[in-house]
Amino acid sequence: MTSADKKIITRKKRGQSVIFKSLFGLFLLLFTYSSIISMIGYRSFTTAMLDQYAEGAFLTANSAADELEPWRMDEYAESMGETKRYTDVLNALHDLCNTQGATFIYVIQPDTTDYAHIRFLFSAANDDVKYKVYDFGYLRETTNHEYRIKYRQLYEGGSDRELVIRDSGYIETDSHITAMIPIRWEGETLGILCVQRQMDKLTQARNGYLIRALIALILLASLMIAGQGYYLNRVLLRPLSLIMDEAERYAKENTPAKTKLSDEINTGDEIGQLADTIDQMEERIEEYVGDLTKITAEKERMNTELSVATRIQEGMLPSRFPAFPERSDFDIYAAMDPAREVGGDFYNFFFTDDDHLCMMIADVSGKGIPAALYMMASMILLRDHASSGMTPAQILQDTNEALIASNDQEMFVTVWLGVLEVSTGKVIAANAGHEYPVLRRPGGQFELFKDCHGFVLGGMEGMKYRDYEFTLEPGSMLFLYTDGLPEASDAEKAMFGTDRMIAALNGAGETSPQEVLRHMRAAVDGFVKDAEQFDDLTMLCVHYIGRTDTEEGTK
Amino acid sequence: MLNIKKDGTDSALTMTLEGRLDTTTAPQLEEELAANLDGVTDLVFEISSLEYISSAGLRVLLSAQKIMNKQGDMVVRGATDEVMEIFEVTGFSDILTIE
Repeated sequence: MTSADKKIITRKKRGQSVIFKSLFGLFLLLFTYSSIISMIGYRSFTTAMLDQYAEGAFLTANSAADELEPWRMDEYAESMGETKRYTDVLNALHDLCNTQGATFIYVIQPDTTDYAHIRFLFSAANDDVKYKVYDFGYLRETTNHEYRIKYRQLYEGGSDRELVIRDSGYIETDSHITAMIPIRWEGETLGILCVQRQMDKLTQARNGYLIRALIALILLASLMIAGQGYYLNRVLLRPLSLIMDEAERYAKENTPAKTKLSDEINTGDEIGQLADTIDQMEERIEEYVGDLTKITAEKERMNTELSVATRIQEGMLPSRFPAFPERSDFDIYAAMDPAREVGGDFYNFFFTDDDHLCMMIADVSGKGIPAALYMMASMILLRDHASSGMTPAQILQDTNEALIASNDQEMFVTVWLGVLEVSTGKVIAANAGHEYPVLRRPGGQFELFKDCHGFVLGGMEGMKYRDYEFTLEPGSMLFLYTDGLPEASDAEKAMFGTDRMIAALNGAGETSPQEVLRHMRAAVDGFVKDAEQFDDLTMLCVHYIGRTDTEEGTK
Repeated sequence: MLNIKKDGTDSALTMTLEGRLDTTTAPQLEEELAANLDGVTDLVFEISSLEYISSAGLRVLLSAQKIMNKQGDMVVRGATDEVMEIFEVTGFSDILTIE
């Protein structure tokens, strides 16, 4: 499995968890919400029920107080529980218990010093309750601090009713309330009448309420979660997975989709827009890839054509050296190094007859294919005219007219053209705006030969050129070049210049033309270092040796 | 880098060239000329701050000269020794009016 596949699978898992996450969130929300609702309901339910219980208990207490006849409290206390009146009251309380649904009804007299102990006067219990009742005069500790405070309130605070609630929550037993009212006669509190009511009904009802609420909430929550799940799946996950699958498929196959996503997902919402966008993206990529393929093919074709053009151009220039292995009276070497695949520079040399070697070097303005085409045209024209035996000036003049006739791009070419009479070393040359030749006379140094210049070829019609003559003594060397040599620049745009060029030539020593060119090239490379070659660089060097005696003999 | 400054009236235009006029900057001058030569009868190139001119630059000067041959005069002024040498070597000194 590739790492890309792994990534896709992880992404899928993550995608499915979106629903889980959102449902879990919904569950938490519902849980919190329903808990709060239940709590509020539980509270208000309890309060309402308690109020009802308390009211009931106080009603019972008031009825009991009526039975009790408060002025007889002393009498009861003295009865020791044995008088008829005491028994009648106790029975009445007992009946009240049974009829009013109270658990206990009892009358106490707390120890008013600290209310820590209570003494029972009456104590009656409901028949349904299995607890034993306290006998007359039973003394016990007050149940807890809360009761103590309530007792004190009734005795000393002037309170008319107090309520103690023992709510043990969902446990059904033991929850009860105790309603207390003071028994007063002539402003004096003589005892406390307590009615205790079991609140089993409350807890039962409340537990029932809780369970029903819980079930209802769970049902509602499940319904909502299921609904939301279904909705999310239909609206979100299914279209999202479709989009994801399509994106995955496209990433793997890179082919256009058979059915568009926007046809399947037509929701009009953000997901629908996403589907549209993915569709559009695929279309654009397809178009782009198509274009790119076309362009690449085009570029490859152009590159192939360019390399063919390079070879054709190279083929035009004499490139086999030694060029004239049978000649020992002179040696010639030349090289053209275009800045791009094809160049605008050229050199050429050929015999127009047995004794006359025509040499030329030229530089077309501009670079690349336009320059190369112009170079071919001018090279052929020059060669044709040279073969007809005209002087260099005439050749240049005629070539200029021919180039003018067919040039509306304002291109031009600089040409140095010379004809060497090999037998004598005499050179007739003409210069159409080309760089100065460099000449080394026997025993001397290389020096610029400031020759007579005409205008460039192809620039303007009717231009005249002039022949000039000089003689190469045996041992002389003539060096020709294009401006790509002195103008070769380093990274800081500093130019190689003619001074460095002359110095490099002189530094080459007494050697062959091939070595001179190699040496010069090395000097230029050492100067420009890593800077890009900007212009074509062309050099031609001829070493005139002259006739030796043996050759004289053979001629 | 080439800076081109234009001065003058409708018919007399002076273009001051600063920097290098080579393959990269020649199209810049060519555009300026194409846009500004209409109706100009006196064109002056002030080139005392021009450091270098390549064959691509010469080509633009040649086109300008050809246009000006038809509609008026063109003068190249203030050439430095280096640029003058290029004009001489290429024979442009024969066809340009250099002051």
